[in-house]
Amino acid sequence: MRDVYITSAGGFLPGSPITNSQMEEYLGYIKGKPSRFGKMILRQNGIQTRHYALDTDGKPQYSSAEMAANAIHTALERSTVSKDRIEFLSTATTQGDTLVPGFASLVHHNSDLPPMEIASFQSVCASGMMALKNAYLNLKAGEKETALSVASEFSSRWFRPGFYEDYLDHSGDTEVNNDAEFLRWTLSDGAGALFLETDIDSGQDLALKIDWIDLCSYADRYEPCMYAGTATNDMPSALPWASHPSPSNAAAAGAIMLKQDFDLLYRLFPTWVGHYLSLVEKGQIKPEKVTHFLPHYSANSLRQRMVKLLEKTGSMIPESKWFNNLTRIGNTGSASIYLMLEELMRTENLTEGDQILCFVPESGQCIVSFMQLTVVRGK
Amino acid sequence: MNDMTNVQSVLRRLVTIWADFEGRLNKVDIISRINRGKITLEDYKAILLNHRQQVVEGSRWISRAASSIEAPYLDQRSSILRHAATEHLDYKMLEADFVNCGGKASEITKGTKNIGSEALHAWMMHKASQQNPFDLLGAMFIIEGLGKNFAGNWVKKLENCLSLSPEQTSFYRYHAEHDEDHMEELEDVLASGILAIDGMEDQIVKTAKVTGRLYLLQLEELGNV
Repeated sequence: MRDVYITSAGGFLPGSPITNSQMEEYLGYIKGKPSRFGKMILRQNGIQTRHYALDTDGKPQYSSAEMAANAIHTALERSTVSKDRIEFLSTATTQGDTLVPGFASLVHHNSDLPPMEIASFQSVCASGMMALKNAYLNLKAGEKETALSVASEFSSRWFRPGFYEDYLDHSGDTEVNNDAEFLRWTLSDGAGALFLETDIDSGQDLALKIDWIDLCSYADRYEPCMYAGTATNDMPSALPWASHPSPSNAAAAGAIMLKQDFDLLYRLFPTWVGHYLSLVEKGQIKPEKVTHFLPHYSANSLRQRMVKLLEKTGSMIPESKWFNNLTRIGNTGSASIYLMLEELMRTENLTEGDQILCFVPESGQCIVSFMQLTVVRGK
Repeated sequence: MNDMTNVQSVLRRLVTIWADFEGRLNKVDIISRINRGKITLEDYKAILLNHRQQVVEGSRWISRAASSIEAPYLDQRSSILRHAATEHLDYKMLEADFVNCGGKASEITKGTKNIGSEALHAWMMHKASQQNPFDLLGAMFIIEGLGKNFAGNWVKKLENCLSLSPEQTSFYRYHAEHDEDHMEELEDVLASGILAIDGMEDQIVKTAKVTGRLYLLQLEELGNV
């Protein structure tokens, strides 16, 4: 088995940072009215600015695949490796640009890369880790020597008024509820790319050795928590959108809106924490050895809930070691951990042997994933 | 070796077991239906009726556990006795809730344990009869965790779904509000020297696991008496 390293990273955030008060100018006003829930949700998630791939008329400025290609371009600009030597492209997204074909094909098409093996991963936040794990294992097993792993999200297009109004017109409701509003005020757009290699020469200034990636689904015990494509997460009665008589029927039934079941979200916490504590207990994670902790979380208020329990169990990583850019660049789903790593590599003074722990929980239907990296500096 | 490292390790293992238990709990039919808001008043009454038969025995095993504790653990014995005293009339709340939901008092007071409650009760009494049975702290972690982590959510769902009033949900409401701070008490007892007993750490963890499994059995077997 070979050692695998992240040797460069690239990020792409569309347009200028959008402040909280500008959000609805870009997303639009549902039924022409400002949201009642926005301010409260923004207080919970703590996000100050984010980026949208929409202009103020709601017109897309990029496709998600184009954003991914831009992130790849930046990652490769920062690498000494020619793009002709890239052997594998692994992609992640919550919702790609098309229903068919797969997202990796679209990204490949947009990236000006040579013919190569590709893989498309579709989940929510954890899809970024799934894509990365596939790239990592391909290199570790000796199947490939170089790989790109890229994650991209264009969530904002889902939050335009047209994605809610068919449902409101049909149901007679005058406004969408908190479950549907939450993500509208939480998710935003962007892409990140990581370039992976097996051999690093001594000329490489900075690389992150991938020690391990751990990912576990608990969908055996939970209903969907963040969902679209069905009007309800009560699975016995849920009808997939494509099983409605037509796409417009599905929209009118509320099967297209992206929603978050809040009660259920809070019930996922013990499972995420339990999984983390089991890794601590096994000795796989050593909290006292972590130099930089990169947690992906959807809301600032959620982190408060965990601190006490982690302290009691001797598993807390001091907050001085936490690195996060949520409040500045928003929650970009699967791309978030890529964009955190990109910023960490670009801005932090990383030292040989520093240990980086990445944490990506996914509320979709309860997934938890961790990745440990060790900093390697060139001679 | 009986420093905070051991205490933290036991707490980590207990939280991990809790997480698995909670995940499985969500899959039990009656709980899944509460979570999904698909429950009837008769279902709720069945829960009260079944639960009361276990709760009425709660102070028995706690006080028996206390009576099985020998020197030098006398301070711990006192605190467990006090704990038994705070819970010994809990079952009356379940009876009142049942009657306020239209049930007959005689039905709930004369009820018998379902087959899952029989197993759970027998297990708890068996454990409580052993010498210095501090492994029951693992059982308490599971049972009180239900109050702290679940009862509040159940009350909310039940009240929304069945339009219940507070006098019909007093038991679950009480435990949602009062089982909050047991984590600190547990930490104190674990740090009080009991982990010096040979094999106690593993026993606490195992007792938590078995208790969780039997608790699920009790919920899976509602009405099966």
